[in-house]
Amino acid sequence: MGHEIASPPAPLPVGRGEIERLTCLGDSRPHCHSERSEESLRGDEVTGMRERKEKHVSTNLGEVLHCEPLVSTWGTSVGTTDDMTDGTATTQERAMVQPIVSMREIDKRFGPVRANDKVSLTLYPGEIHAVLGENGAGKTTLMNILSGMYQPDGGTIELDGKPITIGSPSEALAHGIGTVYQHFTLVPNLSVIENVVLGTKTGFVLNLSKGEQRLKEVLTEFELNTDPNVEVRHLSIGQRQRVEIIKVLMRGTRVLLLDEPTSVLTPTEVEGLFRILRRLREEGVSVVIITHKLEEALDVSDRVTILRGGKNVGELGPDDIASAGRAGARQRIVETMFGGMPAAAETFQQHVATGKTLLELSGVSAIGDRGEIAIRELSIQLRAGEIYGIAGVDGNGQKELGEIIAGQRKTTTGRLALDGTDYTNAGVATLSRAGVGYITDDRLGEGVVPGMSVAQNAALKTINRSPFSKGFWLDRKAIEANANTLIEQFSVRTPSAQTKITLLSGGNIQKLMLARELAMDPRVIVCNKPTYGLDLKTAQFVLQTLRQEADSGKAVLLISSELDEILEISDRIGVIYNGEIVETFERAQVDIETVGRLMLSGRAAVAGSAA
Amino acid sequence: MNERARMSSISILPIVSSVLAIVMAFVIGGIFLEANGKDALHAYRILFERGLVNGDGLTETFKKMAPMLIVSAGLLIALRASVWNIGIDGQFMVGALLAGVAGAAVAGSVPNPLMWLIAAVAGIIGGMLWAVIPALLMVKFNLNEIITTLMMNYVAVNVCAWLVKGPFRDSSVVAPQTKQIPLADRLPFIPGTEVHIGLIVGLLCVVVVAILFRSTVYGFCLDVVGRNRKAAIHAGLPVGRLAGSALILCGAFAGLAGANDVLGIQGLFKANWDPGYGFTAFALVYLARLNSLLLIPFAFFFSFLLVGGDSMPRRADVPTYFVGMLEGLMLICFAVAVYLERRWHAISERIRGRPDDRIEPESSSGPSALEGLEISS
Ligand SMILES: Nc1ncnc2c1ncn2[C@@H]1O[C@H](COP(=O)(O)OP(=O)(O)OP(=O)(O)O)[C@@H](O)[C@H]1O
Ligand SMILES: [Mg+2]
Repeated sequence: MGHEIASPPAPLPVGRGEIERLTCLGDSRPHCHSERSEESLRGDEVTGMRERKEKHVSTNLGEVLHCEPLVSTWGTSVGTTDDMTDGTATTQERAMVQPIVSMREIDKRFGPVRANDKVSLTLYPGEIHAVLGENGAGKTTLMNILSGMYQPDGGTIELDGKPITIGSPSEALAHGIGTVYQHFTLVPNLSVIENVVLGTKTGFVLNLSKGEQRLKEVLTEFELNTDPNVEVRHLSIGQRQRVEIIKVLMRGTRVLLLDEPTSVLTPTEVEGLFRILRRLREEGVSVVIITHKLEEALDVSDRVTILRGGKNVGELGPDDIASAGRAGARQRIVETMFGGMPAAAETFQQHVATGKTLLELSGVSAIGDRGEIAIRELSIQLRAGEIYGIAGVDGNGQKELGEIIAGQRKTTTGRLALDGTDYTNAGVATLSRAGVGYITDDRLGEGVVPGMSVAQNAALKTINRSPFSKGFWLDRKAIEANANTLIEQFSVRTPSAQTKITLLSGGNIQKLMLARELAMDPRVIVCNKPTYGLDLKTAQFVLQTLRQEADSGKAVLLISSELDEILEISDRIGVIYNGEIVETFERAQVDIETVGRLMLSGRAAVAGSAA
Repeated sequence: MNERARMSSISILPIVSSVLAIVMAFVIGGIFLEANGKDALHAYRILFERGLVNGDGLTETFKKMAPMLIVSAGLLIALRASVWNIGIDGQFMVGALLAGVAGAAVAGSVPNPLMWLIAAVAGIIGGMLWAVIPALLMVKFNLNEIITTLMMNYVAVNVCAWLVKGPFRDSSVVAPQTKQIPLADRLPFIPGTEVHIGLIVGLLCVVVVAILFRSTVYGFCLDVVGRNRKAAIHAGLPVGRLAGSALILCGAFAGLAGANDVLGIQGLFKANWDPGYGFTAFALVYLARLNSLLLIPFAFFFSFLLVGGDSMPRRADVPTYFVGMLEGLMLICFAVAVYLERRWHAISERIRGRPDDRIEPESSSGPSALEGLEISS
């Protein structure tokens, strides 16, 4: 397999041993106890006194944590592995390799919706497998079936050639199938090590201090330079995701499922994640990744399965990718995904807006959720007809900036004016009536009300206005009609307007939120990651819509961590760093390098050298 | 996306879980009785006979149902907005006291219906008064309403005791109590029964609350606040005012229930009179899974429990508070049932494969009690 080409034949790479031990945790197959772990065990017994009960605990912990750092294999294998060439070798050998998991003809219906319609998916050890498809294609459903969250209506799942049923997520874990959900399952108030150990079948007595030193090393291997004792809530999203991965691996995972793991990460974090995934591949783990970003899929995966309307519509193996070339492969994937080539992405016409200033922030400051100063004396002006892009690494105040304009966050200094009128700290309701629309990036946290229907969520923000209310009374018909219009306009995939919002696929929830916001016909549109979770075609549609809104005389503030997106449609770009707009550019003058540096350091020039 | 959230849709199962929880509570309670050397079957037979079978007992049950319905209708409003009003007992008491004083003051000098109205309004004002303080503390200073409403209960007990021993005392009798409303001036019976019309008021309250959540903007907004406060803020709803008003409304209902008992049964307010409906109402509203119309059957059930429980000491040598223990057990079993229900989703899905076809007991806006429980934790 791939890694055998990449890594030196002998001695056995230290790293592989570790992952073997990582992956055999949670089941106690005897072959898992490699010599090294026995040794480290004995070592432990000398250094520490343990009771029998504790021994079991530490055995497991020891197996995982008492091992050598992996850096050696890590660096070399990743460095020398080229996806394409590696891929070819892999397929040749694959004929003989038994798949870890094969899902055959999986059916899953939700009422009238056939979320999965005879879908098959085969996973081999040591591969990264991308599952692609448009919004609502059934990707998440398929993963939920494999992770035991849903039961299939038909079809079979085989593990190592033997048919199994997966009744619950914990059964899946017992089978070595681990899932990293987009909404992490870590306990924020527990430390990293507590979170990692929590839920492992190690008995009741924890021996944290012993494992700590070793966990530290494992953390370093996973490029997590944090103290294992730090509470998880202090970690960034990317770091939490890694802790989550480590946690899942600790439970003996041979098949790792990741549902849109990159949408919450910065580009650097994405790179880091991919390094980890490649490394796991070297260790024989089979990784499934769902993503809407084709470039990422092509970067990292050996094999691609494409779903459309709940059916398998294509699979590209490593040789297909290699022979088609990257651009060719990309095109084939897009065609298969959408059933034909979507209209060529139009290039947007940027222009210097000359309209009147619709929104003006002057010297605005605000405190963030954790009591830090999130926005410092920030000033911007948005003119009618322009799209102003806010570029920046997540967590530099862009979220707070959006919230201030929407009225959701109070300012401590400065002034906010709409079309010349002062609206400082006027509150959400007033600002929304005055024509500010805000598309939040936290769609499940604050964007929608889980448990309410699509129709109710679509009417949520204007429920006390006509036509949804007649004085005291709700007009249910109007609420439903409105939802149906929005569903139509944004082709939201839902069985009906009465369906619970949380039953929609991620991308479809996002579409509904956008539709709701734009239907309010705001003069100033603030959107934070508007294309988050959307498939290529829909993302393009959303950007087009924003452009049209701007062209029709509105002002758009586009906050995004994706520079490409910002560069694509913005007329002006401001780089936010540490709560300040450090630099603004006209679109024509943008120098990507400089923007990148500004995003990372707030300074245009590399420290020390004159610009 | 949070895939687990997808699983927690309302289904017909909730009622099943509630009923199972009740059955389990009886079983555990029975074991407890047996362990204490009592004949559990005998005790339960007494309980059921008294509350359900004897014509007399049934009348008592229906009388009890009136305050149960009124109080739980109010509590439902609060809990749907995720406001935890623990202070129902205090609000009830203050309402009952004011209703007793006002009713007795005007009795005889105005027509009875007007007297009832005056007493009811006095009761409502009393209940609201007692809820306004925690509501303000909650909205203005972000103080936890669980603690403030609980504290207000103690204040109510003492203030009412003092008032009824002092300013509001009927000096013609020895016991500290308000002036009695003459029997002839109390609430009339529903024709053909011996149940006073308070029961109809109670049923009306439930219907009003059902309409509130089904068809009004206010009810919708309360649901939004209760289900996702952040979304409510994001949508520009006046979250503080909504939550505060839900608490005050809940107090108003509790006060009305106080007036109901004074006008229908007691005729006066006595010091230390505290029927303790608050806790029962919590059990009731949760077992009804925050669904307004389900309050009616569950109110009947709990009323019969209370009535039957009253007769257990005499006839089965089981203390009255055994019923309180049963209620507690029901809540615990209910929590377990909700947990099992989650597991059941997976199994039922395997069998039926159509989780979306589940029957929803009420408007789609009714949160499952499951979510309510999560709010509590
Ligand atoms: N629990 C459920 N109940 C009802 N319908 C569901 C449920 N889960 C998924 N669906 C429906 O099944 C279809 C597939 O959903 P799924 O979440 O698998 O899509 P997806 O490919 O992950 O899309 P996205 O890219 O938008 O996340 C959608 O139409 C969705 O509405
Ligand atoms: Mg999905």
